[in-house]
Amino acid sequence: MKKQKSGSVWMILPLYIFTLIFVAGPLLYMVALSFAQPKAGHGVEWIFTLDNYRKILDPVYMKTFTGSFQLAVTSTLIICLLGYPFGYFMAKLSDKWKKRAMIFLMLPFWVNSLIRLYGWMIILQTKGLLNHVLKSLGLIEKPLRILYSYPAIVIGMTYVLLPFMILSVYSSAEKLDWSLVEAARDLGASPMKAFWTVSFKLTLPGLLSGVILTFIPSMGLFFIADILGGNKIVLVGSLIQEQMTKGNNWPFAAALAVVLMVLTTLMIMLYRKITNAKELEGVG
Amino acid sequence: MKKLLVCALCAAMVVPAFSVSVSADSKELVLYTWENMFPQEVLDGFEEETGIKVVYSNFDTDENMLEKLSMAKGGDYDVVVADDYIIETAIQEGLVEKLDTSKLSGWDNINPLYQGQFYDPNDEYTAPYGAGIPLIVYDPDMVDIDIKGYGDLWDESLEDSIALTANYRVINGITNLALGQDFNDQNLDDIAKTGKKLLELAPNVRLIQDDNTQDSLLNGEASVAFLYTSQVTAALQENPDLKVVYPEEGLGFGVMGMFIPSEAPDKDEAYQFMDYILQPENAAKCFDYIGYYCTNKAADSLLENQNLVVPDSVTEGSAVENISAEAEEAYNKNWTEFKAACD
Amino acid sequence: MKKKNSKLSGFYLGLIFVLMYLPIAVVIVFSFNESKLPVRFTGFSLKWYQELIHDDAMLEALGNSLFLGVISCFVSAVIGTLGAVGLSRIHWKTKGILEYISILPLMIPEIILGMVLMAFFYMMNLPFGMLTLLIGHTVFCVPYILMEVKARLAGMDPSLEEAARDLGAGPFRAFWDIILPLIMPAVMSGSLLAFAMSMDDVVISIFINGPRLATLPIKVYTQIKTGVTPEVNALCTIMLVFTVLILFVYTMIGKVTKGNNKNS
Repeated sequence: MKKQKSGSVWMILPLYIFTLIFVAGPLLYMVALSFAQPKAGHGVEWIFTLDNYRKILDPVYMKTFTGSFQLAVTSTLIICLLGYPFGYFMAKLSDKWKKRAMIFLMLPFWVNSLIRLYGWMIILQTKGLLNHVLKSLGLIEKPLRILYSYPAIVIGMTYVLLPFMILSVYSSAEKLDWSLVEAARDLGASPMKAFWTVSFKLTLPGLLSGVILTFIPSMGLFFIADILGGNKIVLVGSLIQEQMTKGNNWPFAAALAVVLMVLTTLMIMLYRKITNAKELEGVG
Repeated sequence: MKKLLVCALCAAMVVPAFSVSVSADSKELVLYTWENMFPQEVLDGFEEETGIKVVYSNFDTDENMLEKLSMAKGGDYDVVVADDYIIETAIQEGLVEKLDTSKLSGWDNINPLYQGQFYDPNDEYTAPYGAGIPLIVYDPDMVDIDIKGYGDLWDESLEDSIALTANYRVINGITNLALGQDFNDQNLDDIAKTGKKLLELAPNVRLIQDDNTQDSLLNGEASVAFLYTSQVTAALQENPDLKVVYPEEGLGFGVMGMFIPSEAPDKDEAYQFMDYILQPENAAKCFDYIGYYCTNKAADSLLENQNLVVPDSVTEGSAVENISAEAEEAYNKNWTEFKAACD
Repeated sequence: MKKKNSKLSGFYLGLIFVLMYLPIAVVIVFSFNESKLPVRFTGFSLKWYQELIHDDAMLEALGNSLFLGVISCFVSAVIGTLGAVGLSRIHWKTKGILEYISILPLMIPEIILGMVLMAFFYMMNLPFGMLTLLIGHTVFCVPYILMEVKARLAGMDPSLEEAARDLGAGPFRAFWDIILPLIMPAVMSGSLLAFAMSMDDVVISIFINGPRLATLPIKVYTQIKTGVTPEVNALCTIMLVFTVLILFVYTMIGKVTKGNNKNS
């Protein structure tokens, strides 16, 4: 018994050490930075202040938070709607097709995401592929101006983050015990009922981890807003980036980041609660 | 799944075999600037002549460059090319080497117009490498009005059709000029007025982008654009029918400078490189390539693109200068508010 | 009934795949375009491929990226897998916090991670270069593997390991013979994801790379910022063809060896 435990300690040690030094250390530094003052021109002065946090309450900056949140919610919802069925259907494929689908899913990762977004830019532009097709089909008369608009950003976000949702749902649907679904059907449940009571419940962890994997990055993916949105929508990510690279205000950027981190942590805790509750329900 | 990873690993192992290995024993020089600032031809020519290999290292913004340079305490890099205002800060922080002009035989080729600028008043630290004036360019086929200055950008007929560059100081600056204020106005009340004026511009803005802004004009996304010099040059090359406006309210102006960091590891090589670039033939090739105004007097006549030779009046334009932290913050806030209103 | 369902789901999968590959197809098509502008196809040309072959800096960056991706991915896989299994066995009070901190890199904007890592490495006096890049990439690769493996472990039957133990296997034996094969798919998919992320990362790398080093994404990013030439399209096309080719060869080999096994 004792031996077993010491084995586990050795397994976990690298993670402990690495995480403490290279994740916790730098992050603590960021928190410290958020209470410092920017030096005029360039650099940081280590004088304690709460100004950076006070500044976030300014309506201009508050609006970026609500705006980012909205965009993230919209994108995540669409990604869920598109990605969940995909992952689920994929898990139902035969082994041969599963492998093929997985290959097709992973291949685009070999093309840099910036380049793929650039591809969308070519498609969506006023004189681009989409308008060309719609026009020759006689569906529109004047070209649609999708590029540099809100929908373009949503398309970009969905496109970049969808595979994460799919992989996450797939990995939990794949280990789903289909005999449970069959059992439910044998006991007289309708296909829908069987899905909701068995499959959906069991793949929920996958869906939720997918949500975490998509929602959080979507708050910070500033380059999508840059490339497809014409840089017109200020997201928290873009604001942080601008404060750091152009505004020269690292402490404010750090404060924004701390707030963002706290918000996402709260969300994750909420998810945990939901999943735990669900599990308990299942047990009872 | 296992197969996939193995495949990935195979791909990873095979491809590097195609990359060219660099011999470590030869002399090297680390050049630090934006991407595409020097034609390969000139860099190859330098290596051929001196046997020094140029390692081209990139930054994406001036501020990033300064951060890296100050972390390296003025070391690691041998030659840096960056914007005027950031060089001023770098000099103040002691990161820049005083030039020994006796080592630069081409020093006298520099156009004196671009010397003695605010960031280096006595020409002790830098040699200019290109100058620029952001200008308004528009497609007369798509615009009904005759654009003469910044003020016309506010015209209602231009709804959702303007492309802007993304430097917040420059955009605030031209709004200042449109209002009759100073380009670098530091008065907070004035800046508040600037912010209001900017918000009125928002409905006309199609996109805000720092790079390849001219593309939007060429592919029909925008009909009017406010562009950097290199972009103006590129736009005209693709479509000579575009109209260029020197705004009547006054011009913005910027110089890029070349300097040697104070602790540069290969200073001799750095001097050799700088001198090589100062030679008229090489300079002409560089300016033809990057499309900025030529800062090398001796190279003027060698330029293929004679549009890059500018009249003397250019330097009367206003440059972005370092301002008080409060003013900078107010401008920054204007900008955030403006961008949010553009959607 | 069942057939109709599978047809419908097949159609759905196909549709999404088409949308997924559409921009890539466009990029590939325009890599053969004569004009620099990606608006109209003006004529077939291979000149961007020629330019690419002569671009030493780009190829060097590609090599750097692959090296970085493979190593950081491998290190992360070891740390992440062992960690996930360890976490499932241990009940320390700090466990929850550790787990939270270790997946934090996924939750904060990359730019912040880049910034704090840079400041931190500077504080520790580490010279910027491959080492700092390796550490930085490992930081954001570990969580992917950790999360995947954890999800897999959570759905696993604990009695399997207990059975192994009952039969006298030590914890390492139990891990190696029972657990590892079971969680291998998760380790693999996590590693693949991590590798792809490493190959794609710009923001963090820009902060922590050294003066003499560029990765492929950094190169592409600066190119997109300063003027995309179809050279970048060409590079992507080549990389894609390479991947497909290797996949193809691998499956062929797999088929042949399988056939042989059957014969013998």
